[in-house]
Amino acid sequence: MAQYPERKWYTGMLSTEDWWAVWIAVGFFFISLLNIWGIDLVGWMTYPTKWVFNPPEGGKGAISHAFYALGKKYSVSAKGFYKGLGWWSVIWSYVIFGAALTIGAAFMKWNLKRFIGGFTLIYFMTIATWFIGHHAFIAATKVNMHKYGLNFALNLGGGGSFILALIVGLIIGNFFKGFAAYLSEAAKPEWYIKTAIVTLGVKLGYLPIKLSAMSQKLGKEAADLTFDLFVAGAAATVVAYLIFWPGVYVISRKIFKLPRKTAAVLGSGISICGVSAAVATGGAVRAKPVVSIMVSALVVVWAVIELIILPGFFTHIWPGTKDPLVAGASMGMAVKTDGADAAAGELLDEFMRTKIEVETNGAVKWPEGIITASAVMTKVWIDMFIGIWAFVLALVWVYKFERREGERVPASEVWHRFPKFVIGYFFCWFFLLAIYFGPGQAGAPEAMPFLKTVKAGAVPVEKGMRKLFFMLTFMSLGIITDFKKLKEAQFGKMIWVYFVALFCFIIPVAIIIGYLFHHGMTLPNIAQYVK
Amino acid sequence: MAEQKELSGTGSLTGEALEAEDVLAGAEEWSSTETWLVVGSFIVAIVALVIGMILVPTSILH
Repeated sequence: MAQYPERKWYTGMLSTEDWWAVWIAVGFFFISLLNIWGIDLVGWMTYPTKWVFNPPEGGKGAISHAFYALGKKYSVSAKGFYKGLGWWSVIWSYVIFGAALTIGAAFMKWNLKRFIGGFTLIYFMTIATWFIGHHAFIAATKVNMHKYGLNFALNLGGGGSFILALIVGLIIGNFFKGFAAYLSEAAKPEWYIKTAIVTLGVKLGYLPIKLSAMSQKLGKEAADLTFDLFVAGAAATVVAYLIFWPGVYVISRKIFKLPRKTAAVLGSGISICGVSAAVATGGAVRAKPVVSIMVSALVVVWAVIELIILPGFFTHIWPGTKDPLVAGASMGMAVKTDGADAAAGELLDEFMRTKIEVETNGAVKWPEGIITASAVMTKVWIDMFIGIWAFVLALVWVYKFERREGERVPASEVWHRFPKFVIGYFFCWFFLLAIYFGPGQAGAPEAMPFLKTVKAGAVPVEKGMRKLFFMLTFMSLGIITDFKKLKEAQFGKMIWVYFVALFCFIIPVAIIIGYLFHHGMTLPNIAQYVK
Repeated sequence: MAEQKELSGTGSLTGEALEAEDVLAGAEEWSSTETWLVVGSFIVAIVALVIGMILVPTSILH
């Protein structure tokens, strides 16, 4: 029974990335809610805006305003104070987020000296790429480039910064390996993205509040849409999941003649949820540790390749702006790490919103975050199944393939394999929905002053903190991704299994199932309510 | 060999384990349990697909 050590239900609450993503994101979320009582302790969160070297007279884009504290725009009780922070908000964010993450690192017993040094460098490199990525030439669209005195822009929106962060990270990870090794203690894409995903729950809960400020009908529409995504995502994921795993298993066993355990770990890694599924399945079927490591490395590298290819493919080839939520849901089922999926969803969100705005000459604008949410929703459901599937496989291996007298698999394994950050994601979402439908009176005009205070707290978390953690994820993902691994001889066969399974099976099936459950879902048009 | 590198939040993976035995060779015969696992999974998927498309209001059946 050494395989299943005695663990309490609360084991790991202070020592795992999953739980620390919850504590940090939910902690800032609760601090943000103090705005309801007139105390704004989150308005310092920094955010970039588009800039140019020589802004036109009366136009936008001064470098001095390239970073600002979100409280400057949204605070109800301390707008004046936060207005004065400007670029200093970058330092405030570094100190406060750095302190929060260091507390988590300390509880997880990481090397604090290396973590603080690594985080400091990663943070400021991230800020630098965020700044460069918001040069109007990169981030402006055809619709708004003239405000910055430009006649041409790359139309990348905020997505340009993500790509830039990934490129910088990949350069460090592949050409400056000593430096990458130093940064590795703080290059934790899974931790950063899990924290960002919890704050995405804040985003989902906040959407109806945001749209209610435009019109009560829009707010209701947003609440209904996010619930529809929740239900459709669950159904699509269950179906996809039960097709992916056996399909990849058969490909591995029948075409590539791999042993059972290796095929099982590959099946989970390619079809379910990448690294954590590979590790969970490796443990469940008692595969040699090298199998989980190889699959995990492949998952990370292929996820980055998917991240580069799929958002552009879905935006410009198919389904385009006709079915943005089919694209988002398919992304969630096809990209195999939380980090790469949420990042790809965010990229897709930026690309799609920019494209629809350009296509309609500004007549249609979609609210930010819903397409990302559709990608994350399917991924979150998949994450929840890791524990269940690892449990099923453990049963099959223990009771069928490697039957040993008297061995039992404890049911608590399901809980221990459950991705805990999902709890934080749903908690924040439903908490804000309860506020919206409760004291917020579903966006009724008389409740708007109250909802404005909720908004003052929610925006820095769902916008500033979420985007910053996405940026940290991209940078860290690049830093830990070593393309040389693909060349290593031992990976040769597995690279081909992964390639065939991913592009000939997983992605097409994900697109079909995404289509079956999400085709025709539309996003609310907010063009008449925003500048 | 490779330096220690944590690949997930579990903290259980180390690069030393890459001192690998060949895990890609020695495939066992396909067994009936595998057929049961694969076919069973596909059947449950089809049942879930039909039920899901009937129940989920955003599916193409609606």
